[in-house]
Amino acid sequence: MIRTTLPRLLSAALLLTLGLAQAQKVDTISIGVAVAQTSNTALLGQEQVIGAKFAEKYLNARGGINGTPFKLVFQDTGGDEAGAINAFQNLITKDRVLGIVGPTLSQQAFASDPIAERAKVPVLGPSNTAKGIPQIGNFVARVSAPVAVVAPNAVKQALKLDPKIKDVAVLYAQNDAFSTSETGTFQETVKAQGLTLSTVQKFQTTDTDFTTQVTAVLNAKVDLVIISGLAADGGNLVKQLRQLGYKGLIIGGNGLNTSNMFPVCQKLCDGVIIAQAYSPNQGSAANQVFVKEYTAQYKKAPPQFAAQAYAGVQVMVEALKAIDRKKKLTTWDVDDLRIELNKQILLGKYNTPLGLISFDKEGEVIQKEFYVAQIRMKDAKNGSFVYLK
Amino acid sequence: MNDFLQTYGFLIATMLQAGLLGLSLYFPLQAGQLSLASPGFYALGGYVAAILLTNPSFAGLRDTLGQGIFPLTWLAGAVLGGLLGVVVGVPALRLRGIYLALATIAFVEILRVVALNLTVTGGAVGIFGIPQTFGFQDRWQYIFLFGPLLALTLLFTRQLERSRVGRALRALREDELAADAMGVPPTQYKVLAFVIGAALAGLVGAMSAPFLNTWNAKQGTFDSSITILAAVLIGGSRNIWGPVVGGALLAAVPEVLRFLADWRLVINGLVLVVASLYLPQGIVGALARLTRPRPPQRPLAPAYEKQP
Repeated sequence: MIRTTLPRLLSAALLLTLGLAQAQKVDTISIGVAVAQTSNTALLGQEQVIGAKFAEKYLNARGGINGTPFKLVFQDTGGDEAGAINAFQNLITKDRVLGIVGPTLSQQAFASDPIAERAKVPVLGPSNTAKGIPQIGNFVARVSAPVAVVAPNAVKQALKLDPKIKDVAVLYAQNDAFSTSETGTFQETVKAQGLTLSTVQKFQTTDTDFTTQVTAVLNAKVDLVIISGLAADGGNLVKQLRQLGYKGLIIGGNGLNTSNMFPVCQKLCDGVIIAQAYSPNQGSAANQVFVKEYTAQYKKAPPQFAAQAYAGVQVMVEALKAIDRKKKLTTWDVDDLRIELNKQILLGKYNTPLGLISFDKEGEVIQKEFYVAQIRMKDAKNGSFVYLK
Repeated sequence: MNDFLQTYGFLIATMLQAGLLGLSLYFPLQAGQLSLASPGFYALGGYVAAILLTNPSFAGLRDTLGQGIFPLTWLAGAVLGGLLGVVVGVPALRLRGIYLALATIAFVEILRVVALNLTVTGGAVGIFGIPQTFGFQDRWQYIFLFGPLLALTLLFTRQLERSRVGRALRALREDELAADAMGVPPTQYKVLAFVIGAALAGLVGAMSAPFLNTWNAKQGTFDSSITILAAVLIGGSRNIWGPVVGGALLAAVPEVLRFLADWRLVINGLVLVVASLYLPQGIVGALARLTRPRPPQRPLAPAYEKQP
């Protein structure tokens, strides 16, 4: 008796849910944000949460999507691949979001973006800078310029500051995905600019003692040091380089692009050159309003991760606005709207705090402006990034 | 139902996978060896599968075998895991207790650093764009891989425990010297248990690379060693169901508690603390004690009877 009824009940339930899924209309306009709110990646993810929440409040206060407010749904990815997959799966099937901004790490994106691709849900990576992200599929794009585009600017700027530079040392954190791909770009740029790559040194993001690497750099008598690492290790490395007597210029990669490194190297941070995909000094009206409101609310200038998360939400919202003007969003089926949203994201041009951005056919961001800043320390704890022309 | 599977299918498969990894640690524990090497073999298996499935130099092999490449990756993962298990196990198992645990942690670290430095493993970024096993479209379909594997492993473990080898392993766990004196060669049996665990971990790794879509050096770290050990200890290390229950529970708790947002990891920590404080034999051990019949009581002394 039970044996015959159970499969029938199950298949009936399956048919019912499938039937419901097909007829599902858009009732609330929700956009998913899947970034790291826990684990050690949360250091970056928290800034993204702030950026996205700020975008929700700010853009809704200015009319949302042609008068209808939109809602952000947050799911924590943690710092690992399984967490990212779970967060994406929840957003797609349970929260039925129209698009997803996330995840934080490129390694997580390689795990979770294929899930969205198969479900035909558009994804915008807010901080995935590794090679190969937009190529995951048609529904995957990013607002974060790849390291290959950002990094070379710093080397060119250093050459402007000191045209006599000849010998270069490159150091990188070999257990960090971002730093290893960034150092590749730096090393190619060094060769392309006709400089000598005197020594390449590796370290771990968990290291605190860099005597070996610093000694090698000093022995090579270089005029420029390029570091790809994260805030704590990179800061310590800068500190020890200066303490042991290195006098030349230092370039830091994107991982050092945060005021979190100031307490680590303190006054010795002074003068480090950093290439950025975002600068609070960027002059567009969009950015200046963003910086003003953000500073008023959080008492500090917006960091790059917050600005990129904001830009991700903004792109989704503006694309939805464009669709809504043609055909009211509430009349769409969720599945069709997701596909249309993806098309619209790739078509548009967006005036974001990052400057004017658009996307190529694969979903790679086309960004007009990049920035190079130099750290200026006021005292042991406070400093700022000074934008170099 | 479909939505349920779409949302939680990945989690269910992860629970089965965690149970399998717990079992891979359970084999050496059967012989009384506290080894934390499982994540190393798991990472190795995953890399073997990821390389076979994506590296251009195996393109010819993939074309000839078609879908048959997937079982081949499982076999390769298990065999390489087992072989490396012998290589590591023979010298490492001369160590005991905490020293063995340290040596196996070192082994996991060495593998991780090697993976970071090789180009074939993709360095720190790892390997991505891994094709799906048999063209699976959804994560829940991986239950069809991990489920039967778990069932087979449990069956195998039960048979092993009932066999002569199982009794020898148990004897080693209880008292190595006494077992040796009774004619059980310790090294041979310890290495055997270690290698079975290594092969299983390699196999699970090979199945997991397509499941996660990507594979990198973070898959086999000291952290994952501790997670798996915690799963085994919380589930119970003396019963085959212990690692399965513990692995499934630890994989599920943070996900099921997703609605609690930031608090979910606090609850996860509480589960760990409470379980280790109040359930020394693990959850399964505690349950077994509840269901076990009370030990026979000595009958009361007959009341003194007056002689007529």
